[in-house]
Amino acid sequence: MTIAIERLLILAGILAVWWAAAFHYGPTVVPDPPATLAAGRRLAADGTLLAALGDSALVYLSGYLAAAAAAVPLGLAMGAAGRLGKAFEPYVYALAATPRVAFVPLVIVLLGLGVEAKVFIVFLGAIMPILVNTYAGVLAADDELVEMARSTGAGKLRIFLHIVLPGALPFVVAGLRLGATIGLINTVVAELYTAVQGLGGLLALYGNTFRMAEYFAIVITLAFAGVAVTEGLRLVEQRFARWRTR
Amino acid sequence: MNRPEPAPSGAFPAAPPAEKPMPIIELAGVSKRFEPPRGAPAVDALRDVTLSIDQGSFVVLLGPSGCGKTTLLRLVDGLLPPDSGSVRVFGRAPVPGPGMGFVFQSFRLVPWSTVRGNVEFALAGTGLDRAARRERAEHYLELVGLARFASAYPGELSGGMKQRAALARALAPEPEILLMDEPFASIDAQTRELMQAELMRLWALRRSVVLFVTHSVDEAILLADRVVLMGPRPGRILEAIEVELPRPRWRYDVRAEPRFIELRAYLWNRIRELVLSDENSDFFGRSRDF
Ligand SMILES: Nc1ncnc2c1ncn2[C@@H]1O[C@H](COP(=O)(O)OP(=O)(O)OP(=O)(O)O)[C@@H](O)[C@H]1O
Ligand SMILES: [Mg+2]
Repeated sequence: MTIAIERLLILAGILAVWWAAAFHYGPTVVPDPPATLAAGRRLAADGTLLAALGDSALVYLSGYLAAAAAAVPLGLAMGAAGRLGKAFEPYVYALAATPRVAFVPLVIVLLGLGVEAKVFIVFLGAIMPILVNTYAGVLAADDELVEMARSTGAGKLRIFLHIVLPGALPFVVAGLRLGATIGLINTVVAELYTAVQGLGGLLALYGNTFRMAEYFAIVITLAFAGVAVTEGLRLVEQRFARWRTR
Repeated sequence: MNRPEPAPSGAFPAAPPAEKPMPIIELAGVSKRFEPPRGAPAVDALRDVTLSIDQGSFVVLLGPSGCGKTTLLRLVDGLLPPDSGSVRVFGRAPVPGPGMGFVFQSFRLVPWSTVRGNVEFALAGTGLDRAARRERAEHYLELVGLARFASAYPGELSGGMKQRAALARALAPEPEILLMDEPFASIDAQTRELMQAELMRLWALRRSVVLFVTHSVDEAILLADRVVLMGPRPGRILEAIEVELPRPRWRYDVRAEPRFIELRAYLWNRIRELVLSDENSDFFGRSRDF
């Protein structure tokens, strides 16, 4: 209960800083909260916001889901493969550490400026954190539990399904959350760098034409999207972790 | 099927006489050394251990920390191969499975399974169908006094309750061999006495082989047909003492028996000497008067 009150206080603080900034810089640089709200209402009313949100959501969800669908099995396989997985390790980490924006020009050359390129940029951003975390989760398997399972006569598959996989789940979900945020960032990056479209496109449009109230409304929409995505995944995580007494 | 052959070829030169039961567990010249990852010197967890355990006997391993008791149980269960020597269970190299139940020193309950789920997990290899597994699990949870917590998760249990859940899991497949690594160490004194009596009663009924590890001299004498005293660095067997106290021992005050008191004093002194004279022990050189 108290955390909710504290969060509201922090929100009030953020609004106060924003307001002060708006007062200091003037509405042409930083619009105040009511002006931003009004702009947001306008964008929502004429359908601009919803259309852009739809475009972005399509790119985001396609790229992210494809990344998850590829990364989780790959990470599990890498963890289960023992030495072979270990052999791949440095290359995977190297790729994970390379800023994925570095690949944008290559993606454009290969896939053009359309939806495919955007989806692929999101995919690239989200895949590595999910893969690396899933792999780490398999490696973090509790040796004592594995030995216990062995003593009951469980085979490799049973041990993997009953001990290793559930143990890795929190890591996988952490990776999915990380991938979700990076995927969101890459959605905007993709929309800025390729054919201007979606929320990223509106950001570029309003930023370049100094319509700051609209610009801020889009920024805040993105922030909300980020919160919605991570909170959603947190709820999923809780469903899977009923056994954890908290 | 287990009737001893008149002359087993070569393996056991001194073939046991026909009337003597065949040893169920047989360790001959077993050594096990652990190489720590880097730097630290290798540890001789067990060196040249020979031990033979007959059908239906209750053997207690007693000895100070680090003398290889857990390692010995893992070797017998087939979880670990010996470096040299041979480990035979029912005449063959051991294979882990429902035929042997292992109560681990740390409880090793699966945190994302309910208590019932944990017990049922050990029943997968028994060939019982789903309903029978459920029933079997409930029965053994009842036996250890956890029936009401069958649907709880291990995180909701106290230490002693976790230990009892782990005990139920090891008992549930009704194994021919029970390997118990300090199974009552974290149970309170009253429950511990109940569990000891319960274990003796179960064992009197089913007469499986029990290989039981404890630090408690009293517990060792109370339970054992034979107490095997072990010493550390290198881990080895020092001596084995038959405990002839009449059974069932829960029927009378066994601790008041002169033989119990005598054994207790002897084992206490042996262990204390072991700890104080072991230069690697944490208590080496302490005054011997305390
Ligand atoms: N997996 C391992 N890797 C390295 N060393 C080990 C390993 N397992 C056991 N040891 C070492 O082997 C020795 C015997 O260990 P073990 O666990 O069998 O002792 P124990 O008699 O069960 O002791 P305790 O009473 O404290 O449980 C110890 O010195 C321990 O440090
Ligand atoms: Mg031990």
